[in-house]
Amino acid sequence: MRLRFEPWGAWAKLDQEVDTPFGMRAAIVGLDRDEVRALGLDGAEAWTSDAPPTPPIEVHVAVTSQCGAGCEGCYLDAKPDGAHVPHDDLMKTFDALERSGVFTVAFGGGEPTLRDDIGELAIQAKRRGITPVVTTSGIGLTAAKVERLRELAQVNVSYDGVGDDYEKVRGFDGANAAERAIQMLKAAGIKVGVNVVLTQGTFENLSATIARAKELGACEAQLLRYKPAGRAASLDYLAKRLRPEQVNAFSKTLRELVAEHCDTDFSPTAGLASFSIRVDCALVPFFSADPELAGDPDRLTRFGIFGCEAGGALAAVRSDGLVAPCSFAGPTETRGDAIDDHDVDKTLSAWRAYAAAPLEPCASCTLRHVCRGGCKIVSSFVDHAHGPDPECPRVRAHRS
Amino acid sequence: MKVRLGHGGNCSSIGAVVDTLFVSAVVSTMIFAAVAAAMTRESITIVGKTKPISTPPKTGEAKSDHADEAET
Repeated sequence: MRLRFEPWGAWAKLDQEVDTPFGMRAAIVGLDRDEVRALGLDGAEAWTSDAPPTPPIEVHVAVTSQCGAGCEGCYLDAKPDGAHVPHDDLMKTFDALERSGVFTVAFGGGEPTLRDDIGELAIQAKRRGITPVVTTSGIGLTAAKVERLRELAQVNVSYDGVGDDYEKVRGFDGANAAERAIQMLKAAGIKVGVNVVLTQGTFENLSATIARAKELGACEAQLLRYKPAGRAASLDYLAKRLRPEQVNAFSKTLRELVAEHCDTDFSPTAGLASFSIRVDCALVPFFSADPELAGDPDRLTRFGIFGCEAGGALAAVRSDGLVAPCSFAGPTETRGDAIDDHDVDKTLSAWRAYAAAPLEPCASCTLRHVCRGGCKIVSSFVDHAHGPDPECPRVRAHRS
Repeated sequence: MKVRLGHGGNCSSIGAVVDTLFVSAVVSTMIFAAVAAAMTRESITIVGKTKPISTPPKTGEAKSDHADEAET
């Protein structure tokens, strides 16, 4: 396993998948200082009070700004005439990720599968001890392109729903292309998941979307909050974002989805054990409407639920080579090939500082240490401030 | 100990598996036991870099981090 010291202990990424009640799963483990010492290790200077903050464990790298899909809400404003990031530049970034002890690199863009060398990029990441994953629209995926994706640990296909739900989110009907891609990847033996963007027009059909994704061969559904960045930073965002009553019902819906599509009782005969549901960092504030979860934040911590880790456990490298706190945020002054110097970047430091000491009502929230103040992309767009997430149920109640 | 399951396949958000939030205590214990057992079977490679601790130079002095280290 690869172990990186943290101020509170260490993160460890296991080399082999673990045989869990849910099936074989990759695992990243957080160990406190005593648990690290039990392994015969000591964090030494990493555990001193003035140790610098550690680099991210997951970095999203835009490998191209080219994409022909034209999604209405593309958060990067990718276009057909976009450009691929030079291979040599990416290698320098990968070197910096290796120096930093980053565990996972997620290739995005733009459409990463437009690069002929996407497989080579995955190999280069793995040579540096980094697990590569990728997201694709699935549009234009061919057998040859599928072969190039074989080195990726997981491929996620953007799939927002059956029927016209896909079009409601992206502005065109790409559902068939996405479904075909899921099937092709599954048939090739590549681990495939789906990314499902939640909007008010598709929220009610989530179960059908997930059921269809499972039927096609997906092993995981990642639920994503719609965010006002790129082409989605417009008034259209206000018409697409989840309604307050949907936000309040999110955790109930999540429980129903897990009960219906996952095997939480470990009954292998049910045939559900291989499917899991993930939520993105921006959905964590919505747990504040769930008394059970809000009353037991340790449960979220034990299972490594991450809220806004932008500038902390997460960072992004844009197609222009600059580091950003997350894929949706603006650039910092740090280049990707110097991400190991992230601790002196003023913007990243400011993001970390706010998450460590957020304003009310976040400051007194039980979920504060998990949620870390909610999605700053949303607060920046809606409130024009780097502050509490205005769509969080607790924040809404505080302001009313 | 805290456990994050799965690779995460997404380029736009740091996601987290949530099925585990709703499992019984028995299954939860089984997950942690499986992870702990797997850890004992793997060798450990330390990654990342820990920078030398630097102290601010005193007023009127310009010292390298190396010099600070030597003093401490």
